[in-house]
Amino acid sequence: MLSKIETIDAAAHPFPRDQEDIRKYMRAPLSHLRFPGLDGYFYPPPADEYRADLAPADGLPGSDPEMMSHQLLSDGKADAVILLPLTRGLLPDIDMATEVCLGTNKWLAEEWLPHDPQHLFGSIRINPADPDRAIEEIERWAPHPQMVQVAVPLQAHQPYGQRRFRPIWECAAHHGLPIAVHADSLGGNEYWPTSVGYPIYYIEYAAQYPVNYIVHLMSLIAEGVFEDIDNLVFVFADGGIDMLFPLIWRLDSDWRALRSVTPWVKRTPVDYLRDHVRFCSQRLEGPLDAAERPQWLESVDAEHLLMYSSNYPSVSIQDPGAFEDAAPLLRERVLSRNAMELYSKLSTPGSG
Amino acid sequence: MAIRVCRIEDLPPGSRKIVPGGRFGIGVFNRDGDLYALANYCPHAGAPVCLGAVTGTTESAASYHATWVNEGRILRCPWHGWEFDLSTGKSVASPTRRVKTYPVHVESGYIVVKD
Repeated sequence: MLSKIETIDAAAHPFPRDQEDIRKYMRAPLSHLRFPGLDGYFYPPPADEYRADLAPADGLPGSDPEMMSHQLLSDGKADAVILLPLTRGLLPDIDMATEVCLGTNKWLAEEWLPHDPQHLFGSIRINPADPDRAIEEIERWAPHPQMVQVAVPLQAHQPYGQRRFRPIWECAAHHGLPIAVHADSLGGNEYWPTSVGYPIYYIEYAAQYPVNYIVHLMSLIAEGVFEDIDNLVFVFADGGIDMLFPLIWRLDSDWRALRSVTPWVKRTPVDYLRDHVRFCSQRLEGPLDAAERPQWLESVDAEHLLMYSSNYPSVSIQDPGAFEDAAPLLRERVLSRNAMELYSKLSTPGSG
Repeated sequence: MAIRVCRIEDLPPGSRKIVPGGRFGIGVFNRDGDLYALANYCPHAGAPVCLGAVTGTTESAASYHATWVNEGRILRCPWHGWEFDLSTGKSVASPTRRVKTYPVHVESGYIVVKD
């Protein structure tokens, strides 16, 4: 049992050594078909997206449990790491997308989690477009002492508050598992990445895409999901906390006038955030002047909503030292307490 | 001070009258024989709230299930649609925000508002 945790890395991304490695954890006949790779981008990053120095000699960056443990845990950057593997996007073949999730979960449980049961934790990948089998998969892994959350893609064909997804969120909440939302590999049949069409350049795409979380969040609030499922928490792992309050202000403002259309929304939207929403620090967006960061962290309610994440093995990997200037209580909550309170298995590994 | 609004028969059930009084005028409403007087000023953005529809509102026991309640007891602001309870002046969505209300009664056949 971890009695004292100093720093929790709420999102690091483990990759297979070779992107085809997942295949051996998938079942026939789907394992015999082709499926997209990890880098099937509409907007290929012009420079490396992942740090080449974090790759083992025989694999992709972030594909060696030994190396990741050494770099994140032994080097003292974190005392526990939550692994959030990516899948292959919104595949048109729903069964294939589900099978990739199933294979990814087996791969994580066999190749990563046993490596350090005290300090490595995992995410259960599910395909939200396949609710019945998503629920089966949550039920399968929920008892695993190291599986601490359910992970879904940020990209979606419908915002996540809509009623077809409700049974998935109810199942996860029943097992005390938060839902982590993170941009997935882009190999699938996505809608265009903005509501006004296709940008031309990668920088446009990369800067704005995470902000799509607000569509999911507003949908979850407006459809009463947080009102109906008391202990459900969504973790937006691509960051974007900087955009939260300006956008939620709009929802609050309109809700005060238009409440009668959605009377199942009982609280002012902003009042759902502390109980139901968390953000990973990801790139730690913030003020132009770094000297203003401590006040900025207070104004976005980082004390209650933000969890440190390294985003390993990204080139924009973040160090917990980024919070050195923050007020002590806020710093402690962002680096560990917010995650400790959210993920009970972190302090009681083995209890299931 | 007391404002004499009109004779009671000149404000039949379902009608309203806006009279000078307070800083913004006062709306007097007859709802099924019950009288209400509210400042003609919305606490949200200053609209003449007493010109809005007298209507009902919704409540809900679960997502996607809305029931229509309090017909005739809700004043809906004509600008942004904020809903206020006619009898208390409180916003339905944010009860800490309210339209100012005034005591109103009938005296010698006349409706009288205490400003």
